[in-house]
Amino acid sequence: MSAWARLRRMLRLDERASVDRELSFHLDMRARELIDRGVAPGDARDEAQRRFGNYDRSRQECVDIDDRRRGHMRRTQYWSELRQDLGYAFRMYRRNPGFTTIAILTLALGIGANSAIFSVVHGVLLESLPYANADRLYRVRTLYPDGTPYSLSAPDFASLRQDARALDRLEAYSLASFAMVGMGEPREVSAMRVSDGLFDMLGLQISEGHAFSAEQHQPGRGSVVILDHGFWTRQFGADRSAIGRSLTLGGRPYEIAGVLAPGTQLPSAVDLFVPIEYDATFQPTAQPARRNESLAVLGRARPGVDAASVESDLARMGQAMQTAFPNTNAGLSFTGISLRDLVLGDVQKPLVMLMVAVGFVLLVACANVASLLLARASARRQEMAVRAALGAGQSRLLRQLVTESVVLALSGATAGLLLAFAGTRALVAARPADIPRLDLIGVDGTVVLFTFGVAVVTGLLFGLFPAIQATGRSLTASMREGGRGVGTGRSGHRVRAALVIAEMALAVMLLMGAGLLIRSFVELTRVPRGFESDRGVTFNVLLQGPSYQNAAQIRNRVRELEARLKSLPGVAAAAASTVLPLTNRGAMLDFAVVDAPPPPPNVNAEIAVGSVTPDYFTAVGAPLRLGRALTEQDTADTAPVAVINETGMKRWFEGKDPTGRFVVAGGVRQQIVGVVGDIRHGRDLSQPPTPQLYGPYAQRPARSPRFVVRMSREGELQESTVRAALHEIDRDIAITAFVPFSKLVADSVARPRFYTSLLTLFAAAALVLAATGIFGVMSYAVAQRSREISIRMALGAKRSQVVGAVVGHAALLAGAGLVLGIAGTLALARTIQSLLFGVTVLDPLTIAGVATVLALSAIVASLLPARRAAIIDPGTVLREG
Amino acid sequence: MGDTKPASPDILRGTLDLLILRALSWGPAHGYTVAKWVESATGDALALNEGTLYPALHRLEEKRRVSSRWGTSENNRQARFYALTRAGRAQLRKETSNWHRYAAAMFTALGAPAPAKPRK
Repeated sequence: MSAWARLRRMLRLDERASVDRELSFHLDMRARELIDRGVAPGDARDEAQRRFGNYDRSRQECVDIDDRRRGHMRRTQYWSELRQDLGYAFRMYRRNPGFTTIAILTLALGIGANSAIFSVVHGVLLESLPYANADRLYRVRTLYPDGTPYSLSAPDFASLRQDARALDRLEAYSLASFAMVGMGEPREVSAMRVSDGLFDMLGLQISEGHAFSAEQHQPGRGSVVILDHGFWTRQFGADRSAIGRSLTLGGRPYEIAGVLAPGTQLPSAVDLFVPIEYDATFQPTAQPARRNESLAVLGRARPGVDAASVESDLARMGQAMQTAFPNTNAGLSFTGISLRDLVLGDVQKPLVMLMVAVGFVLLVACANVASLLLARASARRQEMAVRAALGAGQSRLLRQLVTESVVLALSGATAGLLLAFAGTRALVAARPADIPRLDLIGVDGTVVLFTFGVAVVTGLLFGLFPAIQATGRSLTASMREGGRGVGTGRSGHRVRAALVIAEMALAVMLLMGAGLLIRSFVELTRVPRGFESDRGVTFNVLLQGPSYQNAAQIRNRVRELEARLKSLPGVAAAAASTVLPLTNRGAMLDFAVVDAPPPPPNVNAEIAVGSVTPDYFTAVGAPLRLGRALTEQDTADTAPVAVINETGMKRWFEGKDPTGRFVVAGGVRQQIVGVVGDIRHGRDLSQPPTPQLYGPYAQRPARSPRFVVRMSREGELQESTVRAALHEIDRDIAITAFVPFSKLVADSVARPRFYTSLLTLFAAAALVLAATGIFGVMSYAVAQRSREISIRMALGAKRSQVVGAVVGHAALLAGAGLVLGIAGTLALARTIQSLLFGVTVLDPLTIAGVATVLALSAIVASLLPARRAAIIDPGTVLREG
Repeated sequence: MGDTKPASPDILRGTLDLLILRALSWGPAHGYTVAKWVESATGDALALNEGTLYPALHRLEEKRRVSSRWGTSENNRQARFYALTRAGRAQLRKETSNWHRYAAAMFTALGAPAPAKPRK
């Protein structure tokens, strides 16, 4: 319907005109009759008007009635036509089961993949964080001169709480672990120390018992614990009588005060919560402990205050504290990041990439189905022509065909939903490397709505053009010609060729993306990790309770445990440490080289420090580069010594031999005795290594050491063996996080592996679809051109030439797709590059690989049609054709 | 003209529909013909506000008692002609017999003797 017609209908112009014509006819007739009877014309008109009564009211009434009637008629007609079209559609699909099955499967694949990824994006990115005023929450951090953000110290937190203007609430938490004894096997539980208003600010509810009171945050009064709902269920079977009972954590009794409501989530998942006790360091004026950064701080912006204002307010306070505490806060400031960005930061881009990728797969699927429909369209021209001859208008036919497409798409979507349902289950089950909030993922109402929305759009997308083709010009000509041979077949073929090229181009872009991610992944696994991942295991041991009151007790026990481990059969080396490859680089401490100029302002005067027993470097398999390693002779009573890593040597000693030099780390003056290779302690291998210092465990013991054990020969070290051996020494030792080194390595690349696998899967799907497209087009072309091929063969063309022509044609389509696809990839180069590691977008290996894969699939897809062309019997075709 | 006559009772709405159906029972006609027929058939005894005729016609069309199409009038002008549908014809039969019964009942009632007086 034209816009003008629509406007006319909206203004009811037609109804008005018609009613006016009818009413004025009446008035004219009446007036004429009066004139005939001898009344003066002027009086006649007046009298006619008078007898008619209120003209406008009658007219309006008539218009209203007509309008209502027409609306009703239109609706009735619309529904009856729709019913009719649906009938046609179902009949058509029943009669062509092969076509229908292929189309529905193709669409199910495209739509299902979209629904699955959308449900992930919806669950992870689009749903808001489960907190009150989530959009106003910020994580507040200390900003070091080189731009690295850190946690906050207690005094800095207290100062910010006192001085903040843009934030109306500031709350803090820190993570801890406790050895829990007295409840079956001793075990380590994860805990969160929370400030007095954290639950309240986040809007978290206590479902059993009660929250912490104000005085339970006073020093020495905080022996109360609130349980996470999951922990309560697992450990106490959700028993209400647990409230009020006592729990021994780290050798200290805690009373269970309450349980968090089910489904409550904090930024870090933990088993239980204890109050932060506000000791003397929680004073805005406190001097010591300002650089003891242990608090994760969350702030809530005042209503209407934006991120920029929060940032400038934090900078203002940073400035003020540099002046107030020059000894501790020089060069430091504060920075805020919205909690949402913090939680979702590194998953946002890959998820968007996957969403785009599945969008491409759907486009390829659409192109494929459009191509199928086009082939059908030329076959159905005669049917259309007959229907047109019987009085169906073009728009009516168009609607019929589009209805057919949408029916097809909706059927595909229904099948796709099943696929998505299975897909999301598989995705969640794969637990792809702690992607946040993964448990929120599922096929819900929104996803279903999205799916059917996509289906309708898809149906229009792939159905409209073939429908226009089928109902377009010269239908009568088609009827005359019996729907064969006219130019439309040829132009339809050109369109299908273009569609195949587009499919190929999209598939190439996906293949390029997948190829580049695979290359990045390989590069990532090739990054020197600085340790040997074979035959190593590691586990956590927590030494808490009355037997471990001082450093000497801990030190002695660790030595005992280490000796026991070394006595186990097959153990080559065993050591305790506070650091662990790919997991934990230890504490960040203030650092300075004695007799060296201070570092430039953009370098943090700090270094990561770990405590290790002498065997550590042997146990992880790190080479000693210079000087000596730590030994049993470095004890609590001897002079402090340290070993530095190669990056530390480069950063702080200009790459020159540092042995014998003195450094101050965390206020302790110590002598560098050796240099070891860079062991990657950070999880993210795509980041460069950082400076690292190792001190003797004996000089700086810790309550929860990691043990690393290396086996001398093939053979596994079982967790039960370790447990039994160590429990001979102390039955209350909690052993947790027992993992082989190989798993540390696998975990560190789990996320890139997850994204890479998914993208590869999508690329493969697109390739298969695109190859199907080539197959379809070539089969059709061979069938259409059998006459031409026969003539050629009759004129002496060899069968191999025929095959070559068909395959060559397919290769041409694939080649065009390849060029377009690479161009498309280059257009997105900047975005793609940010997802890569160690390769550039124009990676020759990837391009060569993609080209090969594409060429192969084009050849495979065209072989069958080519064979069909080759076995054409020219005699038969020419006689019958 | 009208002032010289005594005030005529208005045509009741349902009655008008019935009169229209009757007017069309001899064949398709346009609104003016219907008006003229009503006028003469009632002998001007019922005052027809001609303007109300058309909404009534359109409403009957909406109810599918009549159908309409444009045609040429006796003096060669475009006019909207109405015709009874099958449903309209049935309606006319039913309403007519209803009216006869109703009128007879009213007539009888109005001619009936006074009620017997209760004795003291």
